[in-house]
Amino acid sequence: MQKEKRQYIKKQERFPYYYLDLGVPYKTQRIIWAFIFLAPWITGFLLLFLVPMVNTLRYSFFELTPRAGEIITEFIGFDNYVYAWNTHVTSDSSFRIELLETTTDVLFNLPVLLIFSLFIAVMLNMEFRGRAIVRAIFFVPVILNSAAVATAVGGGEAINEILAQQGIDQIFDLEFYLIQAEVPEFLVGFIVDLIDRIYAILALAGVPILLFLASIQSIPRHLYEAAKIEGATSYEMFWLITLPNVTPHMITVTVYALVDTFLTSSVSNIITTELNRQNWGLSSAMAWIYVGTVFVMLIFIALLAKGFKIGDSHYEG
Amino acid sequence: MKDKLMKIIDKIIVGFKKSFLDIKANLTNESKNVTRKRKFKTITLVTVRLVLLIGLSFVILFPTIQQILMALRAPEDVNNPAVIWIPENWSIMNLRLAAIVLDYRNALVNTFKVSAIAMFLQLASTALAGYAFSRLRFRGSNIIFLFVIITIVVPPQALSLSQYLYFRDLGLIGRESSIYLMSGLGMGIRSGIFIYIFRSFFKGLPKELEESAQIDGAGVFRTFRSVMLPNARGALVTVGLFAFVWQWNDAYFVNIFEVSTADFPLLTMRLINAAENVYAALFYTGGLSLIGQDVWENPVFLALISNVAALLMMLPLLIMYLFVQKQFVESIERTGIVG
Repeated sequence: MQKEKRQYIKKQERFPYYYLDLGVPYKTQRIIWAFIFLAPWITGFLLLFLVPMVNTLRYSFFELTPRAGEIITEFIGFDNYVYAWNTHVTSDSSFRIELLETTTDVLFNLPVLLIFSLFIAVMLNMEFRGRAIVRAIFFVPVILNSAAVATAVGGGEAINEILAQQGIDQIFDLEFYLIQAEVPEFLVGFIVDLIDRIYAILALAGVPILLFLASIQSIPRHLYEAAKIEGATSYEMFWLITLPNVTPHMITVTVYALVDTFLTSSVSNIITTELNRQNWGLSSAMAWIYVGTVFVMLIFIALLAKGFKIGDSHYEG
Repeated sequence: MKDKLMKIIDKIIVGFKKSFLDIKANLTNESKNVTRKRKFKTITLVTVRLVLLIGLSFVILFPTIQQILMALRAPEDVNNPAVIWIPENWSIMNLRLAAIVLDYRNALVNTFKVSAIAMFLQLASTALAGYAFSRLRFRGSNIIFLFVIITIVVPPQALSLSQYLYFRDLGLIGRESSIYLMSGLGMGIRSGIFIYIFRSFFKGLPKELEESAQIDGAGVFRTFRSVMLPNARGALVTVGLFAFVWQWNDAYFVNIFEVSTADFPLLTMRLINAAENVYAALFYTGGLSLIGQDVWENPVFLALISNVAALLMMLPLLIMYLFVQKQFVESIERTGIVG
């Protein structure tokens, strides 16, 4: 007994943080630890996020003009918001049009993206030869999806130019073949459009696929073993084991995809452009309209998820 | 003679009948039908999977392969109409020029260092926060989590001006530590999404794990470190991967905080600067002396160099991923709670 106690004290000296019980009950300990765990994030949030955010909110009601060494501010109320929404135009579009377009695009693309990436993730989780290579290949769009690479490649213009000089625009002209094969015209348009967009979908699906893959792999294997013994088919196992276990992560993927689409959209580009033109007040107002839109959509998704009871972990309960 | 022929024909007919009956018996045999069905199913599955994966892989890889083959052409052959796919004169001249433009060796080392450190800091800060939000809940923690979602939604552009002024006061502009500070305090590149990922993974872990650790006398931190964290390995690997890749590819924060300098080059900034004016980049780095005038006056060649530079930037990531993907192992054993 004595010896054990001594050992405990010895250990305590060596790893004091393991035994930080302070003589308080476990429940209180948990709250103390929660704040220790959250400390870096809260510090960062207050200093690096909240302060800049409040500043941005303030800027959005001001007209800011840079003069030598200082910035002159003039309060103009909601003028920046009104301007962004009603009068702002770029060379071929406007802030409002782009915002509405991006919003509708997202609403249509999200379900497709979710189903597609879950499907691919399930497939990449199966065992087959060359799986490592295929997984690596599906990761390529995540790497390519970078502003720097996009600038350097310029949408592949250089290569297309070289190929066009040599008279090969595409490997084969799909539209031509389909029309030759007497496929109805509206179907041709649909198929060609879909094929054109495959790369865009794949590029966006890279991260969701990996998220789904990780979540599928964190499903305890004994569930599948039990199901197999009971004689379940792989189809049943997908619907009854994989899907319920993956749904909590579906919200994560949705949030990611929504925010990512907005971040890489033309709306975000317009905000950056205005920022670079030193229209700080205007760009702040635009940023707030943008944040408002995304937030409304998130609330909509959250309500939808609650309605369908998606996102509750079935381990809690 | 006729008899013999008839006999042979009879034999053939009997033989046919027999084999017909055999086949019929075979087809109506229940257990054999089941195996056949299963076999057919697997074969269809494998074929569909094969076709789909090969097709999609082709769509993804096609532009990259094109780029690699282009990169390996001799600079003189850029416009050569006889060369379509396979280079006629293999050459690594393009690669060498792109490496010179990027200051490849220094930039690679620096980018690797920044990405790796930022990754570890991000992992630490977001895993801790995610754990607190999912497992160490207290009254009001949901409201605090709402702020995490706000950090996810607000675009970085909206904050960059005040952040810049703030970092300038701290004297961190032009230093890599500005990136580390952001990552370590959970405000790095998409840290919010990482907290969200960790939260949903820790939430998915069974309560029994925590309870049994508690009964065994483990404190809160011990439970986190020795029980929960190893079980969330999938999330750790995924988040680590994203954090590394996004930091590697980041051109936004690096640009605002002016991290990339002549003494401390980073790949993304070198690439963007080079892509804006390839000729100037080649001129200042002395790459022009390696090639003839007729080559560097060709605009297509200059565009090609910026393409090759982009290829050089992402190649290390691809190679690293090939090693890391093994970490996406099959589901983690959950010893102790399996009944």
